[in-house]
Amino acid sequence: MSARLVVDFNRCTGHGRCYTVSPDLLDEDEEGFVTVRHQPLALSDDRLAEAEDAAAACPEGAVRIDRNLLNHVEAP
Amino acid sequence: MRSAEQHEVGTCPVAHTDYRLDRPAFETYALLNAERELAPAVWNDSTEHGFLMVSRYDDVTRLLREHDTLVNDCVNAFDPNMTIPLLPNSLNPPAHNKLRRVLNPFFSPAAVKRLESLAHERAESLVAELAPRKQIDLGADFAMIYPTELFLALLGLPVEDGQMFLPWVEGIFGGFFASTPEELAAAESAVQNIMGYFSDAVAEREKNLLDPETDLVSRLLEATIDGEHLTKDEINTICLTLMTAGLDTTRSSLGYMFHHLASRPDERKRLVADPELWPKFIEESVRLYSLIIMDGRQVTADVDVMGCPMKKGDMVWLGLAQANRDPRKFPDPDAFDMERDNLNHHLGFGAGVHRCIGMHLARAELVIALETWHRMIPDYRLAEGAELTERGGQLRLQSLPLEWD
Repeated sequence: MSARLVVDFNRCTGHGRCYTVSPDLLDEDEEGFVTVRHQPLALSDDRLAEAEDAAAACPEGAVRIDRNLLNHVEAP
Repeated sequence: MRSAEQHEVGTCPVAHTDYRLDRPAFETYALLNAERELAPAVWNDSTEHGFLMVSRYDDVTRLLREHDTLVNDCVNAFDPNMTIPLLPNSLNPPAHNKLRRVLNPFFSPAAVKRLESLAHERAESLVAELAPRKQIDLGADFAMIYPTELFLALLGLPVEDGQMFLPWVEGIFGGFFASTPEELAAAESAVQNIMGYFSDAVAEREKNLLDPETDLVSRLLEATIDGEHLTKDEINTICLTLMTAGLDTTRSSLGYMFHHLASRPDERKRLVADPELWPKFIEESVRLYSLIIMDGRQVTADVDVMGCPMKKGDMVWLGLAQANRDPRKFPDPDAFDMERDNLNHHLGFGAGVHRCIGMHLARAELVIALETWHRMIPDYRLAEGAELTERGGQLRLQSLPLEWD
């Protein structure tokens, strides 16, 4: 199965939970908001669990996993 | 006079609980829980103006993001005319976001790391001083001075000024939830004192600017928003706001956390044995013992909110503490459970654009204080016969007498 990690930067308010639990995929900018380490955020199967942790950790619902690659949109 | 006689309440039931009042410890949560289960929205007529109380998790998180109709001109549901200024809290987008961008770098996880060695040093020094006393009041003797010193360090001000600040912070909090003119007058005089102190400190820094990347006051002096510098009044107000937001909350959190640990020796032993659990302990404590029980929001127009016809200027109470104990979101919500799978979905630090700027700092301060204390004083208990009361408005245990052998 292939999937992508999708970050809604407008929803992020800098809780910092996602990059704490998923440091290999996500990082913080100088203000504490989320940034992504690699583009595009296609997830190999061995990264999926870490990405799921990041999505589950976000209190704002700003991080999610897109499993429908037919609606593929490039990350900003 | 009961405000419900003047205010249409639509389909909402009316409650009369005055949440500004001091109560026996933990009674406030029981009252809040009951009113959350009464209806999704309840009109409360205990204050002169009254307010609409929204308290279920999904509704609270949704309304926290509706910043076009629910604004921050006033954030105190008890009083739509509160005059104590707060920055950036009282701003709305987009002005709010612009000021947050100036402040955020000083509160990011990376910036907080710069303060950690000082936090360790202060915590160790304070606990070492207290250890031989074997009997203290946690709030007065430890939990207030510790965050005060770190706040001063954050602003690059002398840590020794901490003792001078304590009565000022007390005075301000009397005024936020004032029910008497005396409390209000005391709060206004405390604000004057603090603004005077900051005004001198800012003038001093202006003569000797430091690196704006690491010094917050220098950054405030140097920053421009839409081409304009911040005024001195704005800078003083920002300092005052950071102080009121950061000191009483940290003290109050430590109070409930130490009460929890003092009453549950087995849980305490587990944490003493495995200090890596402190972050989880803190997260669950911030959910279960929410201090800031509401975020107040002001209605910008005559609109219906959750079935209640609201008038422009009315206040909505977004019940953070009630949402944090909503069984629809947190199973067995009144139980302490550090293994919850949605552990950090609580609203203890708020949510949306106004969420607590200091939450990374708060977590670091709390972990360091708890880890240090329990390494140095692992066994302690509540003093026998202690009768615990909690302050209304913004909760805290008024005293927490601890003793050890």
